[in-house]
Amino acid sequence: MHALKIENVYKSFGDTEVLKGINVAIEPGQFLILVGPSGCGKSTLLNIIAGLEAATSGHIYIGEREVTNLSPKDRDIAMVFQSYALYPNMSVRKNISFGLEIRKVPKAEQRETVQRVATMLQIEDLLDRKPSQLSGGQRQRVAMGRALARDPSIFLFDEPLSNLDAKLRVEMRAEMKELHQRIQSTVVYVTHDQIEAMTLGDLIAVMKDGIIQQFGPPQVIYNAPKNMFVAGFLGSPSMNFIPAVVEQTESGLGAFLEGGAGRIFIPLVHCTQALKAWVGKAVVLGIRPEQITHAPEHEGRIQIGVCRINRVELTGPDALVTTCLNKTDVIARVQPSSLCQVGETMALGFDTSMIVAFDPATEEAIV
Amino acid sequence: MNKAVGRQHRAGRLFIYGCLLLVAVYYLVPLFVMIMTSLKPLDEIRTGSLLGLPLNPTLEAWRVAWGSACTGVSCEGLKGYFWNSVFMVVPAVVISTMIGAFNGYVLTQWRFRGSDVLFGALLLGCFIPFQVVLLPMARTLGFLGISGSVAGLVFVHVIYGVAFTTLFFRNFYVNIPRELTNAARIDGAGFWLIFFRIVLPLSPPIIVVSVIWQFTQIWNDFLFGVVYSAGNQQPITVALNNLVNTSTGVKQYNVDMAAAIIAALPTLVVYVVSGKYFVRGLTAGSVKG
Ligand SMILES: Nc1ncnc2c1ncn2[C@@H]1O[C@H](COP(=O)(O)OP(=O)(O)OP(=O)(O)O)[C@@H](O)[C@H]1O
Ligand SMILES: [Mg+2]
Repeated sequence: MHALKIENVYKSFGDTEVLKGINVAIEPGQFLILVGPSGCGKSTLLNIIAGLEAATSGHIYIGEREVTNLSPKDRDIAMVFQSYALYPNMSVRKNISFGLEIRKVPKAEQRETVQRVATMLQIEDLLDRKPSQLSGGQRQRVAMGRALARDPSIFLFDEPLSNLDAKLRVEMRAEMKELHQRIQSTVVYVTHDQIEAMTLGDLIAVMKDGIIQQFGPPQVIYNAPKNMFVAGFLGSPSMNFIPAVVEQTESGLGAFLEGGAGRIFIPLVHCTQALKAWVGKAVVLGIRPEQITHAPEHEGRIQIGVCRINRVELTGPDALVTTCLNKTDVIARVQPSSLCQVGETMALGFDTSMIVAFDPATEEAIV
Repeated sequence: MNKAVGRQHRAGRLFIYGCLLLVAVYYLVPLFVMIMTSLKPLDEIRTGSLLGLPLNPTLEAWRVAWGSACTGVSCEGLKGYFWNSVFMVVPAVVISTMIGAFNGYVLTQWRFRGSDVLFGALLLGCFIPFQVVLLPMARTLGFLGISGSVAGLVFVHVIYGVAFTTLFFRNFYVNIPRELTNAARIDGAGFWLIFFRIVLPLSPPIIVVSVIWQFTQIWNDFLFGVVYSAGNQQPITVALNNLVNTSTGVKQYNVDMAAAIIAALPTLVVYVVSGKYFVRGLTAGSVKG
C-alpha cells in the first residue's frame, strides 16, 4: 500500500500548462521532497495533493482511498504554509485547537492535545499570545503545532523554513528531521533549498517546468543524475561541466583535459558499453568540485594534473579554486592549507570514479 | 547654527499651528453661532449680536424643536421624525454593511468565473446619481407595497449603499492572504465558518468605515426621503426642512437652530465615537499585517 500516489496529474491555468504528467508514489513514513527552481509547479502540486486546487486531469490516492474529488477537510492531511497563515485573531492555543474544535473533538481531549504538541515543540509559554506577538521562529513552531495536533495521514509543507534567517533555518531543519524520526509520519515537503532537500528527504523529486526530472533517494540523485539539469541543481557549488571527446586508449575509454601544465587523462569507467558508441565524439563530463582536490597521497582512481589557478575563494572549512580546462572554468574544492597564489600552478587530484558523461545535445546522462 | 535651525523649526511649527487654528475657527464659528442662538430667547436674538453669549440661557427652543414645533400641518416637533430616521438608518446600515462584507468575502476569497466582471458592475453602482433611479425605484417600491414607508426607505438605502460597502470590503479583503483561508479549509472549516471565525474578526476597521459612511449618507439624505416617504413617515431631514419653512408669523431662529443641531447630532456622535477607527480603517489596506 502506498501512503500517497500521484497518477498522471496535469494542471493548466487557462492556456499555461503548469504540471505535465506527474507520477509519484511513496510508502508510509517516507519523507518526500519536491525541489526545483521557482515557478516549476511545486506549490501547485502540493495544493493539488491538499485539495486546495483541482487537477485538470489525473488521480490522487492517499492510503487506499482515491481523494481526487474530495475536499481538503476530508483528505486527512495537515499543511504548513510558507507564510505560516496563523489566524491573527486567535491565541496560539486557539490556533492549534481550531481544527480539533471544528472536527468536534471533546474539550478535554483538545486541551490534552494542545498540551502535548506545545511540549513537543517547546511553545508552552506562548500559548496565550497572539501570532503578532511572536518571532518568526516561534510562528513557524506554532504552524507546525497546528499541523501536528491533528495526527493526519500526510503532512504537507510548503517551504516552511524559507522565511527564517540562516541560523534559525539550520536549527529548525535539524528539529524537523528529529521530529520526523520520532513521529514516523509521511511528509511531502516543498523547498527550493538543495541542502534541505539533501538532508531531510528519503526521496527527492526534482522538478522543472512541470515535469519530474528525476525521482529517487538523495544519494542516487546526487551521484547518478539523469540529466544536466538535475546534476547542476543539486550540490553547491554546482557540478563542473567540461566538454571533452571520448577516446579509446590502451588503458580503456577516457578523455583528455587540456589547459593544465599538460594533458590530464580522465579514464571513463562507468557505462563503458554505452560510451563505446561515443568514441571520437564530443560529450560533457560532469565532475563535482569535491571530486577535484589537492593532490592526494593515496592512489586509486585518482588522476593528478598540474593546473594553473585563476581564482581562489575561501569558504572556511575549505577553499574553492578555479582553473580552466578544455576552455571551461572548473571549480575544485581543496584544503586551505595546500592553497597557492592566484596565477601559480598546483597539483590537483581528480577522483574519476564518480564522473558522469552527458550527451551535449539532449543533456541526458549517457548510461 | 543649531540655534538657527531650532528657531526656524519653531517658526515653522508656529505657522502650521496658526493655519490649523484658523481653519478650526472657520469651521467651528457656525456651530458656535448655532448653539448660542439656540440658547437665546427670541427677543435677545433680535437685539443682541450674532456672536454674543446668551444673557439668559434657556433650553426652551430645544424643547419646542423636539416636542411642539410645527412641521407643515402637524405641530409635534421633530421627535417622531427623529425616531423615523433612527428606525430607517439602523437597519439600513446594518443590512448594507452585512451584505457588503459578504460580497467582499465572496469576491476575494471564493473567486469564480466572472467575479471581476460582477465587481466592475457593482462599482458602476457607485457612480449612478440619485436622480436617475428615482422613477424606476418608485415603481419598484409600489410593486413591493412599501412605498411611502420607513421600510421602503430602508430598502432604497440598502440597495444604493451595497455598491459602496462592497467596494470597501472587497478592497479590504483583497489583502487577506489566500493562505489564511486555505489553512482554515484544511482545518475543516467551510464557507460560513471561515467567514464568521476567520474573516469577520479581522474586519472591525473596515466595518467602522462602512458604518460611518453609510450612517452619514443615509442620515443626511434628503432626496430619497422627500420622494419616497409621506406624512408621519418622513425622516428628520425632510422634517427639518418643513419646520424651517413653516412660517407662522415671526421666524423663530432659536428653534430652527436647535432643530438643525438635533438633526445633525447623531452623525456628530458617530464621528466622535469612532472617528479614530475611521482613519485607521481607511489606511489599513496600505500596511501589511
Ligand atoms: N492561480 C494561478 N493562475 C495562473 N497561473 C498560476 C496560478 N498559480 C500558479 N500559477 C503559475 O504556475 C506556475 C507554478 O507556480 P507554483 O506556485 O506552483 O510555483 P513554485 O514551484 O511553487 O514556485 P516557488 O518556488 O516560487 O514557490 C507559475 O508559473 C505560476 O505563475
Ligand atoms: Mg511555491
